[in-house]
Parts: sequence; C-alpha cells; structure tokens
Amino acid sequence: MDTARATRADLLDPATIAALGRIEVTARWIVDGFLSGLHRSPRKGFSVEFAEHRPYQAGDEPRHVDWKLAARMDRWAVKQYEEETNLRATVVLDVSRSMAWSGAAARLTKLAYAERLAAAIALLFLRQRDAVGLVRFDDVVRSSVPPRVRTGQWVRLVAALEEPGSGLASHAASALEAAGRLIARRGMVVLISDLLMDPESVVMTVRGLRNAGHQVVVMHVLDPAELDLPQSSEALFVDPESGVEVAATVADVRAAYQATVREAIVEWRRALSAYGASYEPVITDAPFGVALRRAFSARQEAP
Amino acid sequence: MGFLAPLWLLAGAAAAVPLLIHLMRRRAGLRIDFPAVRYLVRAEREHSRDLRLRNLLLMILRVAAVLLITLAAAHPIVRMAGGGHARTALAVVLDNSLSTSAVVGGRPVLQQLQSRAREILRRTSASDRVWLVTADGVVHGGGRDAVLDAAAHTEPFGGAGDLRAATSRAAGLARAAALPAKEVVVLTDGQAASWQNPLSLGDVPLHAYLPAALAPANHAVIAVRAIPTRWTPRGAVRARFLASDSATYRITLEGRTLARGIAARDEEIVLRAEPPERGWNAGTVELEPDELRGDDVRHFAVWVGPAPAVSLHPLAGPFARSALDALVQSGRASIGNEIAFAPADEATKLPALLLAPADPVKLGAANRALERLGIPWRFGAAVRGESVVRAADSTRALDGVTVLTRYALSRVAGAPGGDRVDTLATAGGAPWIVAGPRYVLVASPLAPPATTFPLHASFVPWLDDMLSQYLSGEGGAPREVAPGEQLARPANVDALELPEGGEMTLSSDALTAPSRAGAYFYLRGTTRVGALVVNPEPAESELARLTPQALAVRLGTRASNVFTDSTALTASVLTAAPQRPLLAPLLLIAALTLLAETLITSPARKRAA
Repeated sequence: MDTARATRADLLDPATIAALGRIEVTARWIVDGFLSGLHRSPRKGFSVEFAEHRPYQAGDEPRHVDWKLAARMDRWAVKQYEEETNLRATVVLDVSRSMAWSGAAARLTKLAYAERLAAAIALLFLRQRDAVGLVRFDDVVRSSVPPRVRTGQWVRLVAALEEPGSGLASHAASALEAAGRLIARRGMVVLISDLLMDPESVVMTVRGLRNAGHQVVVMHVLDPAELDLPQSSEALFVDPESGVEVAATVADVRAAYQATVREAIVEWRRALSAYGASYEPVITDAPFGVALRRAFSARQEAP
Repeated sequence: MGFLAPLWLLAGAAAAVPLLIHLMRRRAGLRIDFPAVRYLVRAEREHSRDLRLRNLLLMILRVAAVLLITLAAAHPIVRMAGGGHARTALAVVLDNSLSTSAVVGGRPVLQQLQSRAREILRRTSASDRVWLVTADGVVHGGGRDAVLDAAAHTEPFGGAGDLRAATSRAAGLARAAALPAKEVVVLTDGQAASWQNPLSLGDVPLHAYLPAALAPANHAVIAVRAIPTRWTPRGAVRARFLASDSATYRITLEGRTLARGIAARDEEIVLRAEPPERGWNAGTVELEPDELRGDDVRHFAVWVGPAPAVSLHPLAGPFARSALDALVQSGRASIGNEIAFAPADEATKLPALLLAPADPVKLGAANRALERLGIPWRFGAAVRGESVVRAADSTRALDGVTVLTRYALSRVAGAPGGDRVDTLATAGGAPWIVAGPRYVLVASPLAPPATTFPLHASFVPWLDDMLSQYLSGEGGAPREVAPGEQLARPANVDALELPEGGEMTLSSDALTAPSRAGAYFYLRGTTRVGALVVNPEPAESELARLTPQALAVRLGTRASNVFTDSTALTASVLTAAPQRPLLAPLLLIAALTLLAETLITSPARKRAA
C-alpha cells in the first residue's frame, strides 16, 4: 500500500513531477494517479448511448466491463456513453506576470503549477466525458478554447496552455464573463488565479455566473513565500505588475503581513461563499492531488 | 559615581549603531520582486502604529543594552548610603607647637587636641589607613592602635614647628593611598602666626578644629643676646620681653642668679656683668610662670675668659697701637705675650694677627715666616689702586673701607690647616683679610697710604672681634636656632653636650636642632668649643588666634569645615559613604534588556525559521 502511494504522481512533489515531462504527460500521470486512489469510480451515466471504450481502471464497476472485447482482444475495457457529457466546464487560468513568480528556485512558479493543475482538471473532466474549455487571461483574455468533449480537445487545451501570457494586470471579471459565455447551459467555471486583484469586480462576476446557474470554483494559488514573507532582513519589495515599491524589515512586519494574508483569504472565502461559489487556497508546494481532490469535490456537487 | 576604567565610556558611541540602523532601516538597497506587495502595503497600513511602537521599543532596548554594557565595562562605582564609611586614608595633623602647651581651662590646649585626635581615630576601622603628623614634622603610621598611642603620647614641641608643611605632608600621604576616600583633619590652636599664608591641598577634603576658648594673655622673653658674644671677662646681657604689663625677671648664668628686676612693658633691659666663670657658660633670662611656660625662659650662651694679652710689634704702626690702647683701657685686651700683633715678616709664633709688610722688599721674609708658622697663604705681587672692601660676614661693618695698596694673597695647596680657612673680607674681589686656626692675616699694612681701614670707625671693634673670636681661647660665636631647625655640623666637633647632662654624639654632617629649648655645647673631646642655643621663635609667643572663618581661608577650605565644636567635628569626619561596584547590576539589567528584546523579536524569528 505504501509503495503504491509513493508511486502515485498526484502525491509527488509538484516540482518533481513537472521536471519529468511536459504538461500533457505530467497531467496524465497526475490524473491516473488521482483516479487510482479513488475507492469508487466517480463516473455516472453509463447506460444511455455508447460512445467509446476506454481502458479499465481500478475502481471501475465490473458490470461496465466489455467482456466480449476482453475475450476477443485480451484486454479489459469499459464502455462509455454519451450520457456522461452532460457537464460543460471551463477552466479560467490567470497568466498575468504576478503568476510567473516563485518564492524559491526549487519550487514551481504559480503559473507553472496552475497550468499543470488546469491540464489535470481538464483531463479529469474529459475522462469523465465532460466538455471542458479553457480561458487564459491577464489584463485581457489571451486565448479561449470552447468546451468540447470530442477527440482532440485535450490536444487543443494543452496547446493553449503553452501559449505565452504574463500581462501587467489581472482582469478576472472579463475572463469569467467570457467563460460564462462559452457555456451555453448550466455548467461549471473553475478560476485558477493568485487573486492579486480587487475582489469586488470578481465577486460581482461570480455572482452573475451563479445566477446563471453555473457552479463556480475559485482556486487561489499561493506561493508559500506569499503566505509568509521572503527570507530577508531589509528589502525593497517590488510588485512586478504595478511596479509599486515598499521598503520593509521582514522581521518587523512578518507577523502583521501573515495576519493580513490570513484576513485576505478569509475575506475571499466569505465573499465567494456568500454567492455559493467554492473557494480553495492552493499552495504551490502541495501535491497536485490535493488540489485535484478539491476540484473533484466541486465536480461531484455540480448538476 | 566614579569609574575605574573611564576610557571604556568612549565605547558608548556604539549606541549610535542601533540608532542609525533604526533611522536608516527604510533605506535598504536589496530589491525583491514580490507580487503580494498589496498585502504588505495593507499590513503596514493597518499595523503601522503597532509597528512603530515595536520598532521604537526595540531601538530603545538595543541602545540601552549597548549603553549598559559600555557602562559596566567602565567599572562604575557609586557611594551607597549606610553600611559604615568608605575605606578612608585619614591623616590627622596634630598641632603640638609650643603655643599648644598653654594652659586654658585648667589643662593644656594640646591635651584637648589630643582628645579630639583620639576621638576621630577611634572611629576609623581596620580597613582605613591612618597617620598622625605633628607640627614638628614627625609622622606616625602603622595602624590605628599605633597612631592612637602616638596621639596620646605626643609631647609639646619646643618651637613653632611648621604646621603648613605638616598639613601638606598629611595631604600627600592621604593622596598617595589607593583608597576611595581621603581626608585630612587639622587639630590646631589656630595661632595666627602659624597660619600666615594660604594653603592649597588640592582635592583632598580637609576638616579643621580649633578650641572655642580665647587665647590666654601671655608674657615671654622674646630676645636675649650676650654682648659681646665673648666676655673678657666683662660683658652684658640684653633682653626684651613680651608683656602686657610689667614683668619680674631673673637672669642666671650657670644656674647662678646674676640679677633680678622688674621690666616695664616693652622695655629692653641690659645687664652688665663680669662673672667669675670661665669658658663656655649657659645662661637664662626668666620671667615668672604664666599659662605658657615654654617661652618664660630664654637661653643664651657666652664664652667668658680673661682679656687677651697682646704683644704689639712696633712696625705694626701707630694706628694699631692706638686701637690696642683703646681695648686695653676698656678691659677688652691687655698687654702680654699671648697674641702677637705684628707684620708677617716679624712673626715668630701663633696665635698672631699678621699684617703685610710696609716695605715690599720684606715680602720674601714675610712668606718664609708664613711658611714657618704653617699658614697656608702667601703674599704675591703688590696691587695698587683703590678698591672697596667687602666683608664676607655682613655682621662686620667694613663697608666704606677702601684699599690703596695690597698684596695679592694666594693660597698654598695642600698646606696643613688649609681646610679650615675663612676669608673675612675682600678687596677688589680678592681675599684681603683671611683667618684660620689661631691666625688672622691682613694683605695690607695698617697705614693710611695703604688703606683707610685704621681710620674707620669699625677698626677698633674689628680688632676686638679678631682678638676675642679668632685668636684667644676656643673660637666661634654661639649659634642660635629654633627647635628642629636644620644646620650643618661645625668642623672638628665630636658631640653635643645636653643641658640636662650627658652628650649626644654627632656623626653626620647635618644636624637637627633639639626640640627642647636650652643651651647646648659643642664638644671636641671633652672640651666645649662652641655653643648651640635653642630658643622658640619669638612669634610663637604671640598667642592671638584666627577666627574659624579666617582659618578656613588660610587652609583653603570652606568655613563649614572648620569646627570649634568637637561633636560636630567628629560627625563630619569619615562620612564618605562606602563605594560599591555597579558592574554586576548593570550586566544583569543589560541581560534583562537583551532578554526583553529577544522576547519581542522571537515570535517573528520563529515564524521566519
């Protein structure tokens, strides 16, 4: 059991996983590891219209195994049906300059972490026959992939994730609105961002999405150094987006800073929860499996 | 507060380091990209008051810690109230001058001063250092008990002593001691004559005590002189008194009363006498006893002998004969063969008063005679021209005498008796009258063509002086000194005969006059060859006292430090509070300060870790 857990990619150090391959590959490992850790198959709706086969995975119910195919091809596969594509989800990814930052060289930047997390979430949805799209934004919407479930969607999503970004601001509201427009009927919007932006416009947009019947999941990406403060004595801290400079003595302001960050998290959680949106802080040194589990929980609650 | 290592205080400048850090902390040069600056801005905005207070407190604690450690390194010491007195170097100056032997209120002033000294000394502890310095310059040390004993047994001094010197000495002793407190206590009768000039003791605290009672009236013999200093055998005693009224006096010689009488106020008396005693004799002039006994008797010494018998050579000249006749008629000399008075070329024996020959051709014979007589002088070339005579001894009035012709006198090196010669007078800077054992030599003939000396008024007294002082009997005039005075031991003197009998061997060339008044005689073998008369200084009989304020001025101290009350004096001495080092408390406070700083900063450090 321990050996099995140790080899699960979703539980490995994010930086270690990222070093092993590109987003496409590592996302598959993460999702495979994540799904193998589930005791029960999360999938529903295997009864309406056959769509395709997929390899059997631990946890799949034996009644969905295509025994004929197993007897003919000597491999186990389960049948999937169109009925599962009832969810349309859009991952909204913040690619602004503030995301391209890491508090330590050994850690992934928030953007790298968020890209892999987005890819994993998207793959997870696709595996469940959910239509998934992608919206990348900074100060503008950089790219947009409409939600699809068809073959090739995964490739398009990965290609979009590898496009450049890093604008000087984060306008999540417009990105969320764009995501809402991409989902014709009730669906799910997953916002992955460091949330270094004014909450009011974001919350108002989330409220609009919720009023439209969408499930909203906000994944607040935080570097551990943002929870604390970088190790230093006296320093001039510069915001890479706005260029604002603040001189501070770390030892003196650390406690106040930590309290402020805690307050900000509480404020985000309170504001988003008020409109039924899920809010999950994600630390970039935490295994992807943790973040996936939170996103998966939201998926389970989705219509 | 004092510091044992004050240079460490300079390290206090290090306190500027945390101060500068505090002031410059917002000028850091390190730039860090940090996306969450908005949280930092918000934290500083919302917690600015707490942050400022915390930074200020930290700066104060750090500055205080540096200052405390610096202060501790300087080894501060402070005086603490209670717990006895600080270790003190205490020097007590006890005035035992003659004036303190005056009886006031039934007992001598010195006894009062001794009581004060013992009261103060008893307050000292074993850790103190104490000295007793008396007016005669004697210093007693060696511990409290020894000094207490010395204070109890201090005897009155025969003279004034030197209280100013004693006080300076006491201050020097206290100053030299490596003790935290130093004090000098002067116990004196406040006699004005003893404190004529202001004194400066520097930084040594001084307390003084003088009796409140007024000085008693005093009469005293303040001057006695035997005239001439050698009686042949007639002479006189001249005395002066200090008295507010008439005083009854008595004059004695070797214990025998020569005269009694009553002297009026400020009268000078002269008693003529022709005593039967011969040789050196001791005499006194006494008044009736009063409160100060020490100056009621004044001593003198006089040599008494027959008039010298002089054999005058005809070639000595008419002026020499006239002068000798005058001395013979006054009984100061007689005609005989004891002393020769002749030109040098005619001299055959000593003692002799020798003159230069009137005829230059006799110079050779004169020098041969001088050689034969063992006189270490020779006549040289004649020196013509007027030159002024100067007496080597100012008491011999030769001023105004001029010399027209003289022979240069040259001294023969290595001649016997050459180490005991006196130049009594010079002419033109060269020896003119010289003297030695049993001879007097004049470098000119006593005639008006050669010198005006025979015509001068001082000629006859000079001749009397030469005959009596240098050429007859034991030479030398009595030396009158004050008790304790330093003087040179006369040549060829072995011992000093004491007034009460016995003798004191003289071994060194320096001699300190005895502390007790009296007539002392120099001895060569068993023969008296001179006299040393010890009498108190006349000023010591002036008992007028200074007021406390005036004494304070003379001592260079505050009037509040001069007491007439013994209780106040005792309470004011040894009051320096003991000194305690502050090293340990300062280090403890510094440690607590650093601990407080650590407690304030540790949460942040822990979070940073």
